[in-house]
Amino acid sequence: MNGGGGRGKIDFARQFMPALAAAAEVARASGHLAGRRVGIALTLEPKTACLVEAVASVGAEVSVSGSSNSTKPEIAAALAEGGIAVFAEAGASPERGEYLKNAFIDRRIEFLSDDGAGIVRRIHRERRDVLPYLRGVAEETTSGVRPLRVMESEGLLEVPCVAVNDARTKLLFDNLYGTGQSVVMATLDATNMQMAGASVVVAGYGKVGRGIATMARALGGRVTVSEIDPVEALAAHHDGHGVAPLLEAVRTANFVFTASGIGHTLTAEHVAQMPDGAVVAVGGAGRPEFDPTLGPELTRGDEVRPNVRPLAAPSGATVFVVADGYCVNTSAGEGNPIEVMDLSLALQLRALDYLASTVLGPGVHLLPPAIDDEVAASQLAAAGIAIDVPSPDQIRAAAQW
Amino acid sequence: MKSRIADAALAPAGHLGIDWARRRSPVLDGFVRERLGDGSLSGRRVAVVIHLEAKTAFLATVLAEAGAEVVVAGSNPWTTRDDVAAALVERGIEVHSSRRSTMETWESDLAAVARTNPEFIIDDGAELTVRIARDHPDIYAQLRGVSEETTTGVARLRALEQAGRLPMPAIAANDAACKHMFDNRYGTGQSTIQAILQLTNLRMPGKRVAIVGYGWVGRGIATYVNAMGGRVVAVEADPIRALEAHTDGHDVADMLTALARADLVITATGGRRAVNRSHFHALQPSVIMANAGHHDHEIDVPALRQAASSVDEPRPGVTRFMLGDKPVFVLAEGALVNIAGGLGHSVEIMDLSFSVQAMGLHTLVTTELSPGVHEFPPDLDRLIAAAKLASRGISLDIIDDDQADTLGGLLDVDTSRSWDHP
Repeated sequence: MNGGGGRGKIDFARQFMPALAAAAEVARASGHLAGRRVGIALTLEPKTACLVEAVASVGAEVSVSGSSNSTKPEIAAALAEGGIAVFAEAGASPERGEYLKNAFIDRRIEFLSDDGAGIVRRIHRERRDVLPYLRGVAEETTSGVRPLRVMESEGLLEVPCVAVNDARTKLLFDNLYGTGQSVVMATLDATNMQMAGASVVVAGYGKVGRGIATMARALGGRVTVSEIDPVEALAAHHDGHGVAPLLEAVRTANFVFTASGIGHTLTAEHVAQMPDGAVVAVGGAGRPEFDPTLGPELTRGDEVRPNVRPLAAPSGATVFVVADGYCVNTSAGEGNPIEVMDLSLALQLRALDYLASTVLGPGVHLLPPAIDDEVAASQLAAAGIAIDVPSPDQIRAAAQW
Repeated sequence: MKSRIADAALAPAGHLGIDWARRRSPVLDGFVRERLGDGSLSGRRVAVVIHLEAKTAFLATVLAEAGAEVVVAGSNPWTTRDDVAAALVERGIEVHSSRRSTMETWESDLAAVARTNPEFIIDDGAELTVRIARDHPDIYAQLRGVSEETTTGVARLRALEQAGRLPMPAIAANDAACKHMFDNRYGTGQSTIQAILQLTNLRMPGKRVAIVGYGWVGRGIATYVNAMGGRVVAVEADPIRALEAHTDGHDVADMLTALARADLVITATGGRRAVNRSHFHALQPSVIMANAGHHDHEIDVPALRQAASSVDEPRPGVTRFMLGDKPVFVLAEGALVNIAGGLGHSVEIMDLSFSVQAMGLHTLVTTELSPGVHEFPPDLDRLIAAAKLASRGISLDIIDDDQADTLGGLLDVDTSRSWDHP
């Protein structure tokens, strides 16, 4: 089993991305991206490469940015071979990384697909020279939409931004099913452990926490949820999970997942309470939630298997952390499944087309619900699934008061 | 000792893998070790022919530490982990195996194990037993017992018995409750789905999955697919199993109907050519096919290769066959996907299976059994389950005398007695 390199992986992924293909059809028909300078600054791997090639296929001039630690080299190479301007090198030094980011920004991008609002913030702060060229930004994540809204409220956001993350077809699928499956599976792949009968703690019951809890239970785990929000905790209780404070819940845990999105969720104090052999994985925001290098109380050992490192707690117990506290699904796996990213990336493409075809003022905008609906409908259609249309009577009834 | 392995330098990673398996195998490392401590295995020549990875290696280590002279080979040409094989050799155990063998080298590895003149075999698919019966009648005559791991292997041993060619006792370890109820169902269920998703980076929620064969393995996979949000259509030839699948809430259909709407096809029949030439036209474009049964032949890959206009490997472990303009994908070249394309069953499950195997061997060594296929002793089965529960701190209830059903009371002809109150 040798595999077909970057090109093979990109082509394989594309076969399972019908919504992205449909979005490209729409963008091609609208023609607004043709000849435009589009920048894509998402984690560079096979699925985002499909977005890059889809945007290029509708006639845009595409540049790609990617971080040194998440860029898959064979994917970057395959894109470059296809004539895409790639500013991403796996393992680049910090200086080289800076150079690449600025070279990407030097492309005077008009429409930007951003992840964590990294590039758009940099342009506002340091590269105001290219700000006049920037006509719109599509933002992928919760953690990118937040600072954009802060910038907007302070009157500092100078371009229209679409919060792709907040579309229903993103939030309800990517964060829930995608992350749920990929976090649990990456942890089982790394450890070769059985979920059936295991005692599982999930810290945080937002979309990601719900996804992890659902998947862990589906595989036979018994889930206890820890929350700081009473409404979410009550929801976990109604979903049939145990609910307990984290410090208490971890005492009998075989698996501990954090999905809080908040720094310092899991600390050395919690690790000290865990039983020998417990496995810890972060499914939310990564290291801020649990940083195994923090605190002198924990002694880190050498990896006992790829991506699995022992932590010796003062209690004498050995606890194993997967992917060193980084997001387990992207660090110890391939990230979210292809079909889930099909939806998210189709929304990205539609957002770029929307920005190119609509006059919007500076600020954070939602993707129009009709576009959201069309993307969902395109994946249903590809699966051969039909849905109902409301009858005239239903439409009338819905409009009455 | 003349081992044949890929690379002795890989041993350090192999040791780590075996240590990880030990950490999560409390029954094998506790209860079983204690029982084997009676010295009965001392000097016994034992061949272990099971998919050679970390859990198997820990079993071999436990047997060797109990005094047995253990020789190991893989039960499949493509599933051996070379680092684990190297670690076993470093632990003083003779190994004949490497990953990516050819059929020829695998056959010669099994022959090398046969020539060590084993007294007992822990077998998988009866692969070694059948070969010794065929090729080495003198060694076969001296065999003192076989403990068999799989459904397929037990069926083969029963066939040998019926043909009058099983002159020694064999224990159907597969049929022990602590084996098939957990290994075949939960072990294969989880690890098969895990391997498929890992090889493809695809999503289970919303997938339409044809499961061919609804035995223990098929049931387990169906349970996991369904629990993760996939939709199962089961294909069966046996009316009782088909009715069971239907009652379990799955769709049931014949092969062509099931294939025509499947995104993913998983074979678990234990037979051959479950997906064959006559089905290719019904396959959906971009269908993914994977095998969870013992044979590498459940998906007729040679026929696919013949029928395809081109064949390539877009991702590691994913082979694409172009049937006209229709791409279809086969995972791990049709070999057992959870082992050839993944890490195999979880450690926790194999702790049970290999405890059954070790105790099966112990029974063969310490008990006079007549030739033929024997069931695994039920009292040992219960002890293994109890040891697993105890390792997890789970307590059982005890039935008091007055809670037990009293058959005597039912048979009592004294009609003046109340049925409800003695």
